[in-house]
Amino acid sequence: MAASLVRFVRGGLGRSFNIARTSCLLQQQTRLQGSSTETRPTVRPKDAVAHNQLAAFGEYVAEMMPKYIQQVQVTCYNELEVMIHPDGVIPVLTFLRDHTNAQFRNMTDLTAVDIPTRQNRFEIVYNLLSLRYNSRIRVKTYTDELTPIDSAVPVHMAANWYEREVWDMFGVFFANHPDLRRILTDYGFEGHPFRKDFPLSGYVEVRYDDELKRVVAEPVELAQEFRKFDLNTPWEVFPAYRDPKEDAPKLEAGEKAPEKK
Amino acid sequence: MLRLPTVGRALAGAAKGSLASSNPVCTPVRAASNMVEVFVDGKPVEVEPGTTVLQACEKVGVQIPRFCYHERLSVAGNCRMCLVEIEKAPKVTNLFVMYACRVMCPQPVAACAMPVMKGWNILTNSEKTRKAREGVMEFLLANHPLDCPICDQGGECDLQDQSMQFGSDRSRFSEGKRAVEDKNIGPLIKTIMTRCIQCTRCVRFASEIAGVEDLGTTGRGNDLQIGTYVEKMFMSELSGNVIDVCPVGALTSKPYAFTARPWETRKTESIDVLDAVGSNIVVSTRGGEVMRILPRLHDDINEEWISDKTRFAYDGLKRQRLTQPMVKDESGQLTPTTWEDALTRVAGALQSVQGSEVAAIVGGMADAEGLVALKDLLNRLNSENLCTEELFPMAGAGTDLRSNYLLNSRIAGIEDCDLLLLVGTNPRYEAPLFNARIRKSWLHNELQVAMVGHKVDLSYTYDHLGEDTSVLKQLANGTHAFCKVLSAAKRPVVVVGSSALQREDGVAILSAVSTIAQNARASSGVEDGWKVLNVLHRVASQVAALDLGYKAGVDAIRKNPPKVLFLLGADAGCISRADLPKDSLIIYQGHHGDAGAPMADIILPGAAYTEKNGTYVNTEGRSQHTKIAVTAPGVAREDWKIIRALSELTGVTLPYDSLDEIRSRLAEVSPNLVRYDDVEEANYFKQANELTVNQELLAAPLVPPQLTVKDFYMTDSISRASQTMAKCVKAVTEGAAAVDEPSVC
Amino acid sequence: MASTAATRTAAGAAKVVKPIFSRDLDEAKRRVRELYRAWYREVPNTVAVFQLDITTRQGRDKVREMFDKNKHVTDPRVIDMLVIKGKMELQETIHVWKQKTHMMRYFYESEEPRPTDFLSKFYRGHDQ
Repeated sequence: MAASLVRFVRGGLGRSFNIARTSCLLQQQTRLQGSSTETRPTVRPKDAVAHNQLAAFGEYVAEMMPKYIQQVQVTCYNELEVMIHPDGVIPVLTFLRDHTNAQFRNMTDLTAVDIPTRQNRFEIVYNLLSLRYNSRIRVKTYTDELTPIDSAVPVHMAANWYEREVWDMFGVFFANHPDLRRILTDYGFEGHPFRKDFPLSGYVEVRYDDELKRVVAEPVELAQEFRKFDLNTPWEVFPAYRDPKEDAPKLEAGEKAPEKK
Repeated sequence: MLRLPTVGRALAGAAKGSLASSNPVCTPVRAASNMVEVFVDGKPVEVEPGTTVLQACEKVGVQIPRFCYHERLSVAGNCRMCLVEIEKAPKVTNLFVMYACRVMCPQPVAACAMPVMKGWNILTNSEKTRKAREGVMEFLLANHPLDCPICDQGGECDLQDQSMQFGSDRSRFSEGKRAVEDKNIGPLIKTIMTRCIQCTRCVRFASEIAGVEDLGTTGRGNDLQIGTYVEKMFMSELSGNVIDVCPVGALTSKPYAFTARPWETRKTESIDVLDAVGSNIVVSTRGGEVMRILPRLHDDINEEWISDKTRFAYDGLKRQRLTQPMVKDESGQLTPTTWEDALTRVAGALQSVQGSEVAAIVGGMADAEGLVALKDLLNRLNSENLCTEELFPMAGAGTDLRSNYLLNSRIAGIEDCDLLLLVGTNPRYEAPLFNARIRKSWLHNELQVAMVGHKVDLSYTYDHLGEDTSVLKQLANGTHAFCKVLSAAKRPVVVVGSSALQREDGVAILSAVSTIAQNARASSGVEDGWKVLNVLHRVASQVAALDLGYKAGVDAIRKNPPKVLFLLGADAGCISRADLPKDSLIIYQGHHGDAGAPMADIILPGAAYTEKNGTYVNTEGRSQHTKIAVTAPGVAREDWKIIRALSELTGVTLPYDSLDEIRSRLAEVSPNLVRYDDVEEANYFKQANELTVNQELLAAPLVPPQLTVKDFYMTDSISRASQTMAKCVKAVTEGAAAVDEPSVC
Repeated sequence: MASTAATRTAAGAAKVVKPIFSRDLDEAKRRVRELYRAWYREVPNTVAVFQLDITTRQGRDKVREMFDKNKHVTDPRVIDMLVIKGKMELQETIHVWKQKTHMMRYFYESEEPRPTDFLSKFYRGHDQ
């Protein structure tokens, strides 16, 4: 979904910056030509101005903090995403909060994504809002089950409960958190429910036991069939035609799109 | 008559037995090695002359969309969905001028009906091909109602799938749609004829496979309709297959209507046990309930068809079930109890009597696991009185020689034979898929069929030699006129129905048939591997039971009434309380409260075939196994587990706790039982014939118990409990209108 | 160049595991002992506060059993993580955030042992 517009590897920064600039200009032209003949009404039109602004700001941030920022991209829905090294949580968030041109003083959300196939299976996502500039930014970093990540509480007070939630649901440990304990699960609950390897039904089920006069937890036994959909038809199918005829159209191919024209 | 003239058949044979080329195809006269090279999207492929474009594409793995084409039916070429563009060869030799003229027209060709020519390049995904498909699809959809949300075919509909893949994405059709009146063709098939796209697959299925010319087309062009012309039932034992064959929702299943969607059901590959053919099936379940049963492809058994009983008797699995152990109390009333209680009582009864006073009878749907467990249990109690309900002559070679009780030629082997003699059987209702195979061979391979027994409609023509046993005698001693035909046959096959062997003179009938077979074999000079003598069984458990060493028939029990009688699914009613001493204890273990349960003192609920992992051996001797699709209702358990638990309480614990262990026990007793999908050969006809015991044939005519279609539907405890099957019987006797229900849509 | 140096350090940091608290196994073991001691001291108090129907002895045995369950673990980071969770439980216990039901959950009172022999499995209807 998210096609990156500007891809920075910390090496050739200045170079790609220039290319990106020209590419933006060229893209604007293509857009103007395209808009006269509306061929794909169901595809969201591009907002090149906003896109370029975000791209330029992303480049600027990357240039400012080359040590921590690994990649900057703008998604197809014009959302600026900054990928950082886990060590850079405090510096990058502080920079984004305090820099005059950023002023992302508001942490709207902090969450995690579990992608078990990755080496660092957890992606930690910080969503920030700058009221001053009416702008949003997303900072992403990564970790695994055992690597602690620096708590963002010293930078944003709002991170406190979010980090407790991520700890509870994913088991990601936040170093230097003032009060890291469970927030959603019951006392004595074992496991982290939002991990992909946590079964949908859980491990235990609770019920009130009349003899013991209290609630007891027992290993779960499913009385009802687990719902699962099988979308294959029993009759003839045409696997050869299942694959799309050509590759899905690239929504925005940042550096390559201009070359077409 | 559909039977092809000899020339056409020879040509069809040239096209590698494919039904597809049964339309007059001008096959180039060439050496067989001379394959035709064609290209599919530029990929070269060598095919035999006479192959159609569609088959050539299939060979390289490219599937052409189609509606009317079906591999097992003749080619109609009327849906036009399989249009492809052809690039003709640069050079056309004189031989092919006729075809070349057609090819040079720029229009696309129907792939299912067009034989390939040398050097053609078939473009299956070109612009023109796609455009042609889109156009055809637009025409098909012009008259097709947009009622997918209330259509039972939704989710498994060819039209749905193919319009998604090959159709255009918008409509420009503003006219009204054609509407067609629905037909009532019986209690099994629901028709919504407005949805019909006139592919005529059902018509071809009815006339070619089922052999009933009930369905046809009336009208032309836009007014073309499929129907029976006059209001009548589609009366065939294979009628349910038109539901599968229909590419749209025009023909759907009446019992399954509006009950489930295909994507929410779970499919379990299993086998059918309602007859001895062992059709491969898929059991669709949802929420612990069998929603429907579909056929599964097995070329050697059922191809891709199943009989109506197999398909529709599943509602019998939900009715009349035994769900709890029951024990008769003082007042003679059966009262529910626990497993502990019931099993302890049985164990006590077994311990209190001598081994010889215990006997067991097994019914037609017992699995091999249960059979071997029961046999082991009784053997440990020093009893040898284990019988099957179904009779088989035990005198002479009896069941000692396996070739004596198998369908040795196999079901698929019928396609190789040229003369078939049926004795005292009605395969159409005893084994519908076997009959379909005979019909197929009769249709395409010039099979000659003769029959001794009651004259019945078999859906093909045959020489009726008479129904008296004297005919058998004449055939055996060579005085009958038909013996000449029999001796002239190159690959003769004799099939005797197991129902004929139930008679008191079963030994004589078997020996007469064995002699006929032996004579035919000697005179035909057929190669060693060819088998002539065949027995067509009617119940699924019989071959496994005989393999495991059960005695066939309950005569031994009648003569020597036991004190404790164990019935394992014995529902044929071949023994009653009157045959036993007053104080005898009857234990019934099974899944239905049918004939066996009411006379029992203790009832142990077992699992039906969709609820257990059971091994069954079909009439050919092919062992197959069912799989657990749903859990057994109530506290019912798998048969062998009940017997295993009972053995522990009786003090003779059987040495197997798991399915693997009992299967290895099966392998010890009879290794062929666990070689799944393998037919174990047996070939001792000569020895068996020499061992025959003389017995006089009775004068009574050979009349199989199932004569007409109404005898077909309810034959066992499951189908007797099925409402659908009851409706079928009612519809057959009183007409389809008698069971007509107001349709919802 | 500064940027390439940054790359190297970043790559290096990703490979060397970052400790949670303990730098080596001895330190981790020390933390485990500290936690065990804390639990050991807390047990009589817990039994009294929650009015549990067990003796202190039983409680301490249970604590020991819980620690022994993880005695095969040798990775200091995993040990640290377990200690963190153990501390969390201890905190919940000390503050009486937990209730009696949560405490008694450690003792699996209501659970019947799963049948192992054929006959009892048969009566319960469980497949093997």
